[in-house]
Amino acid sequence: MLEDELLATHLQELRRGTVVLACLLILRKPDYGYALLDQLDRRGFAVDANTLYPLLRRLEKQGLLSSDWNTEESRPRKFYRTSDKGAALAEALSRDWESLTTAFGHLKGEQP
Amino acid sequence: MTSAPSGSLTDRYIQAVLTGLPARQRPEIERELRASIADAVEDRAGSGEPAADAEAAVLTGLGDPARLAAGYADGPRHLIGPALYSGYTRLLTALLVTAVPAVAVAVAGARAVQGATLSGVLGEALGAALTTGVHIALWTTVLFAVIERAAAPGRGARRERPWTPAALPDPPSRRLRYGELTSVTVATVLLCALILLSPMLTTERTPGGDPIGPLSPWLWETGVVYVFVALVVADLGYAFAKYHARWSVPLAVAGTVADVAPPVTLIWLVANGKALNPAFVQAAGWSPDVPRWVGIGLVVISVITVLNAVVGGIARARNR
Repeated sequence: MLEDELLATHLQELRRGTVVLACLLILRKPDYGYALLDQLDRRGFAVDANTLYPLLRRLEKQGLLSSDWNTEESRPRKFYRTSDKGAALAEALSRDWESLTTAFGHLKGEQP
Repeated sequence: MTSAPSGSLTDRYIQAVLTGLPARQRPEIERELRASIADAVEDRAGSGEPAADAEAAVLTGLGDPARLAAGYADGPRHLIGPALYSGYTRLLTALLVTAVPAVAVAVAGARAVQGATLSGVLGEALGAALTTGVHIALWTTVLFAVIERAAAPGRGARRERPWTPAALPDPPSRRLRYGELTSVTVATVLLCALILLSPMLTTERTPGGDPIGPLSPWLWETGVVYVFVALVVADLGYAFAKYHARWSVPLAVAGTVADVAPPVTLIWLVANGKALNPAFVQAAGWSPDVPRWVGIGLVVISVITVLNAVVGGIARARNR
């Protein structure tokens, strides 16, 4: 069997970009850090809080997300929303994901 | 801001994260992180967990604050990155295995000539070797750390010209240039060490036992010796720049100026009789002709160096 550590490293490599795509898709409807973490978890995208929070800032810096502080409630929260640029990237990444899925499908269909 | 009773744990956690971040990022990250932690704690406490346990669990989930801070940071989180690492280790090894024994042997030889005891000779040689090694390690590391940071914004600029296989350097010539760079570095370090140590590493002494350096004390009184060493080190810096950066007019001009500055300074020093120490010449019992020939020799070497720099600069401009 695979060693746990090796599996964990490769799973992390494989999932790295999927979290970005999932965030860009979910944040078409604005949301804040913890709620997004919760949503990602419920929808089957396992990600750690200490990965997600820095990632959100990076995506914002790259202009893929825009943000607003909501101070109407008792606890001020930073809401992120996918920008036009982010939506375009999500579109491109989704297409790539689909073509990869097709490619893998063909690979597995070809029995050696 | 947090509603948890033991808010201090969260405060300490956030403080630990912020310490690892640049000041301008701190206020916003603090505000957001505080809200996120409070949300998570509230969520757990809402499902019946005691508030203190919830807080501890949330912070445990966030993990080591230093790693979280590293995630937020923009700049490189390493001193010397993978692109420079092999060059760094190669240069450091080359310098350590050549300069350290050379300095040790030179110091031991000088002390032995002065008639020191065996333990004195060994002690001084070991001390000088250790000092040289520490200096080499420190300055090589500083140099590569600076290149690492200076090159980071330049990487984007270098990408402007798309890479083609034609840009590949010829492997032997690049290796040759690397070898050349290493030997220039070793020579520079040795030269600077010899110049700076020369007042101690002399074979002559006053009747009172004080050492008489071969180089003019005027150089030290006026600080000119440090200027000269700085020029030589700056020239080494340009040798590195030439190796790592593409040819460009400002770099070529600066490089040629850096190549020419030390020999021109040397010619000026010799012409004004500021190079050799007259007391040393007298103590060594040299005839007046010897310093004259030493001076002529230094001037000839300097002129050759200047010509070499100018001709080499023109050749590089043509072949770029």
